[in-house]
Order: sequence, then structure tokens, then C-alpha cells
Amino acid sequence: MTSMTTAHEVDSSILRGVAAKVAPGSSWSAYQAAARTLDKLPIESLPAHLRARVAVLGSFTLEPFLAVLRVEGARAGLWIETYLAPYGQYLTELLDPGSALYRFQPNVTFLAIDSDVIWNQRWAENPPLRTEPVVGGLLTPLFAGLDVFDRAGSGIVVVNDFVLPRRSTEGVNAFRNKGTFAHMIAQVNKHLRLRLATRDNTFLFPLADLVTQVGRDHAFNWRTHYRGHVSWSEALMAAVAQRYAGFSLASLGTATKCIVLDLDNTLWGGVLGEEGPGGIALGAHWPGSEFVDFQRELLDLQRQGILLAVCSKNNESEVLEVLRGHPDMVIREEHLAAYRINWEDKATNIRALAMELNIGLDHMLLIDDSPHERAWVREQIPELRVPEVPADPSLYANWIGSLPSLVVLHQTSEDSRRTHQYQESRTREAYRGSVGSIEDFLRGLGLRVEIGPATEGTMGRVVQLLAKTNQFNLTTRRHDETTIRRQREAGAWRVYTMRVADRFGDFGLTGVAIVEPAPDTWNIESFLMSCRVIGKSVETALIARIAADARGAGATALSAEFLDSGRNQVASTFLSNHGFAPASDVSWTRSLESPGPEWPAWIADAMATDGAGR
Amino acid sequence: MSDESSIVARVRELLAQVLDVPIGSIGTEFSTATTSSWDSLNHLMLISEVESSFGVLFSNQEIVDLTSVDRIVTAIGRHLASGR
Repeated sequence: MTSMTTAHEVDSSILRGVAAKVAPGSSWSAYQAAARTLDKLPIESLPAHLRARVAVLGSFTLEPFLAVLRVEGARAGLWIETYLAPYGQYLTELLDPGSALYRFQPNVTFLAIDSDVIWNQRWAENPPLRTEPVVGGLLTPLFAGLDVFDRAGSGIVVVNDFVLPRRSTEGVNAFRNKGTFAHMIAQVNKHLRLRLATRDNTFLFPLADLVTQVGRDHAFNWRTHYRGHVSWSEALMAAVAQRYAGFSLASLGTATKCIVLDLDNTLWGGVLGEEGPGGIALGAHWPGSEFVDFQRELLDLQRQGILLAVCSKNNESEVLEVLRGHPDMVIREEHLAAYRINWEDKATNIRALAMELNIGLDHMLLIDDSPHERAWVREQIPELRVPEVPADPSLYANWIGSLPSLVVLHQTSEDSRRTHQYQESRTREAYRGSVGSIEDFLRGLGLRVEIGPATEGTMGRVVQLLAKTNQFNLTTRRHDETTIRRQREAGAWRVYTMRVADRFGDFGLTGVAIVEPAPDTWNIESFLMSCRVIGKSVETALIARIAADARGAGATALSAEFLDSGRNQVASTFLSNHGFAPASDVSWTRSLESPGPEWPAWIADAMATDGAGR
Repeated sequence: MSDESSIVARVRELLAQVLDVPIGSIGTEFSTATTSSWDSLNHLMLISEVESSFGVLFSNQEIVDLTSVDRIVTAIGRHLASGR
């Protein structure tokens, strides 16, 4: 996980540097100039997980917005390549699987629809009283388009809710009436939310919330709206672009997985070493209540699956006293996946946390109130996310929600258990130190593995692992749920899942393989494991099961690929270690005429079933 | 009150940013006829920024006619002199 960047290569810190020259909400010309700078960067060296293909389909003019989107993407460390549908063609593009949208193969597609589509329909009604035709007239074709996208498209789709764009003239009795503009917007939003919620790869974009945040009077530019249908003001463009960048990061599996927290003046007011546990500012009243709210917001993120860790220059025993005993702490020891509380420098400690948690430094984010620490860590670890923090702690709780990289697309039951699993691993590592050979270690773990076909209940986790696993991953192919279902139903894919447990705890569903069964040769399309179970030889159990199933079906060989993503070195020897021989640069084959791969003797087979069928 | 040279400087700066041309190449003759990237959409955004920068409001006919640095600077000066 070392950075191999040379002076000539572009990395996320260079992208952030370009964006840093433009303050969020600057004039459009400043964004445009920065976007031109981005155009000139040699991005060939930029790794795939930092490049997003983003499609924007709008009902109004969005060309000027693209410059803002690309610069706000760069601020989040991301290179964004854009596709914009022709003016007003958002439905046509969505409904035609042969359209340029589908050829673009986006990671994420944003539908930006303004409320004129409702306003104009309302006035087409005569008299303008019935809501249902307007709602249906808008949503029926939209969802028909989303259905086409689900079958033929790639990545996720994000659709905004509708906003009352200006002050109403509908009068003080408008609340009694149906058929008003405000009523129609409310109805469309209600139906939109309910229908989007039933779909797996479709998300609601909170435009109304952003307009509230920017302020409606500042969110729309009526002059450019009427002159050229450029409706969003620069302020709203920037706010939307930052959220779009967050969705884009998440669609690439590049969002933040772990927040590293400082303590003094970050989680509480004052310096623990000077004031003592009773003297720090933390409680129901100011000063202290602002830190309680900030901790609550952090805990909300932790519940979605983002890990919390602590890195603080303090005495560990004093901090543990606060974590365990302070009556007003919201974040407790059990919420922390790991901590480094000592007097070492922070860069060293953060690297150690990354090692312990097995998370890339570019998936971590540091929150530290000290400008000196931030500047120093940024210099030491350029790939780490180190946002500026407000000088006033009263602003922390509102500020944390503005960070674009804290987007969790697929929340699964695994996420809520993850912190606990990292804590179990601390016990496990202590055990590893006390035994001799690796085989003795594995025997002593009491490993249990359960392999079976993906089910309705595990599909979300399968998609999540495909999207997020970077290290032990042979091919790093990202597939969405629609694709997987389609291939499975066509009989083209068998999808294996693996659950792993040992005597210290349950790792949950941590392995996925996708196999393309043909009469002679079964091809391994994807094969991956969560980093939590690397080094336990459970991958051997999974390949042994696939080989056994292939033999049972009459196949005589397995084929597989190892595609070097720059981050999956840990998986590079897997194929050669399991009897595969190279067939070309990337592809490998293994005859099933010779025996093996054998199921490891120290792993219990928790459910001996007949593998992954339909 | 902006004098003419500072108006020229600001307009050239805006054009350079929006159209991605070196500021040195933007003389008073610089116009839509000589610059392919100065299209209708860039024109819309450019005029809007000129208006907010100088606190002026152009008429529809003026917007259509503001096709060179010279014309933009003259129009700004006219509006500032008349107080709107």
C-alpha cells in the first residue's frame, strides 16, 4: 500500500491542488479556468479507482455545470469524465438502449430535472386542478426509462427530488386545495421517493435539501434561466457538484471507510492532559454540548458502516478512563475499530492504523482541529483525506455532513458488525503472537467456512464486496445487482458466497466468486475476499469447492485471470499456488484431471451442500 | 468607479478564463468572429459575469451586439456613466 507516485504522475493530491485554487461557490469563470487546467493534466497514470465516468441527463442547460462538477470532483481527489445528454433529451436517452448514454458506460448517472416539467404540465391542464395526470405524466415515462436502464445500463442512477423554485402566489388557502403547484410538487416527491426506495441501484438526490442549505433566493439565477435555461446559480452548482462527487466516489468504491479522530478540542473541549477527565468540556450545556452533537453525528456515520478510529497525542490510560467512564461521552471504546494514543507522530500512527485495519490510506479521513497537524500529515501522507476543520467547534456538527466522501451506498448487516469484528481481530492477533507455526496458528483458530449460492438476502453484500474489495481480488470487476441477476437468470453465471467464522468471532459473508460454467471448462470470472479474512487459507476452501462442483458437472478444467490493478498484489500468487499454469499474460488454466485443490484439513465445512446453483 | 483601463483588464481576464486563451492574445479587436470557443453558451455565462462584476444590466439587443472586447468595454462604460 505504498505510494509509488513520481513527480510526473497525477495523483489525488495534485487534483486537490488544482481545485484548491477555486473556493467552493466561486464565479463560474474561475471554475471554467480550473477545469481547463484539469484538461491539461496527464492523467494516464491515474489509477482506475480515482477516475469516474459520470453521465448527467438534464431537463435544462447543464453545460456550464460540468466545469463545476469536474473541479468539485478534483477537490474530492477524483478525476471525473463527463457525458451530458443533449438538451432536454433525458427521457429519450434513458429509453433507448442504443443511445450515447449507454455507450458511455457510466459509473453513475445523474438525472437533473427542474420543476418546470411540473409547472408547464400544470398549465397544460385545463382547468389546472387534477394532480394525478400530472404526477403520472411525469413519473410513468421516467420509471419506464429507469427500467430500461436497469436492464441495459451500468452503475447507479441518482434522481433529484423537486423543489418549489420561487415564492408562491397561490394564496393563503393553497393548503386546502389540490392541483396547486406546491401540492403537485409534494405529490411527485412522495411517489418518487416511494418508488425509488424499492429499487436497488437507484438513489434519491436531495436537491430540495441543498436548495434549503444554499437558500432559495440564492439557489436559482433567474437571469440566466430565462436567457438560456441555465437555472442553477453558481452557489447551487457547487453544492450539487460536491454531492455528485460523493456519489461518484462511492460508485467506484473509493469513499471513506474509516474516520481517524483527534481527541482534544475535536471530540471534547480542552486538553485532557491539563484539565483531567472532569475538566474537559463535554456535556448538556455549552461549552461542551457542541461536542456531544458532533459525537452523535459521528456515531450515525459509524452505524452506516464507516469505521471510527482515534489517533491522539495523549496518555492512553487517561483517554480510556474518559471513553469508559465519562458520563457524557457518546462515542465509547466499543465504537472504535482501533486507536493509537501515544506521543508518536501522527503520520506514523495513521499508517499503523491503516495496517491494523487493513484499509488503504486513501480510504481514510483525518479530523483534527490542529492546523499544524493537518498540514504535517497532509505532507507526509498525500493520499490521505485531510479536510479543513472549522475553527469554531460550534460548527463541527453541521460541517461533518458537508464532507462528500462520507457516502455509504449499500448498507448491509455486515456493516453494523464491522467494528466488533476488528475488535475480535485484536484478540486474534494477540493469540497469533503466542503460537509457533502458521499451520498451528490456523488449526488453533477453529476456522469454519460455509459456502453456498448467493441468495436474495445476500445479494446486497455480494454487490458491496464486488464494489469495495481491492486487495484480494483476482479481476477487480465491479458488477451491479442488475447485471448479476441477468447473468444468473440466463444461466451464464454461478455466484458463490463464503461465510467465515473462527473461535474468536464471526467474520460474516467475506468471499465471493463468480463462475462461468461451460461443458469442458469452468471460467472464474471474479474471485475475491474481504481483507478481514486474508491469511487464513479460506480462499483454498473456496477454490476447492468450485473445483469439486466443476468435476461433478463433468468439466475437465478451470480457467481464471489475474488482472493487476496495482492494488491486488496479495492475490498475485493465488493461481500458481493452487495448480494453475499460465496460458497467456493474464489467463491461467488448471486441469481437473489431476487431483486438488484440497480443502484445508483445519477448516470445518459448515454446510456441505451442492454448491452454487440458481 | 472603474476607469476604462481597469474595465478592459477585468474583461480580458474573464475572457481568458472562460475561453481558455492566453490573456496576452486578447486585444480590443478580440471578438466572436475570431474565436471559435466564444459560442452562444459561453457568451451567456460571460455576459452574466460581466453584469454581476460591474453591477450593470444589458438589454437583449445589447447582449446580441456585445461580440468583441471593444464593444463590451464601451457598453459597460455607457451603463456606468448613466448610473445603471
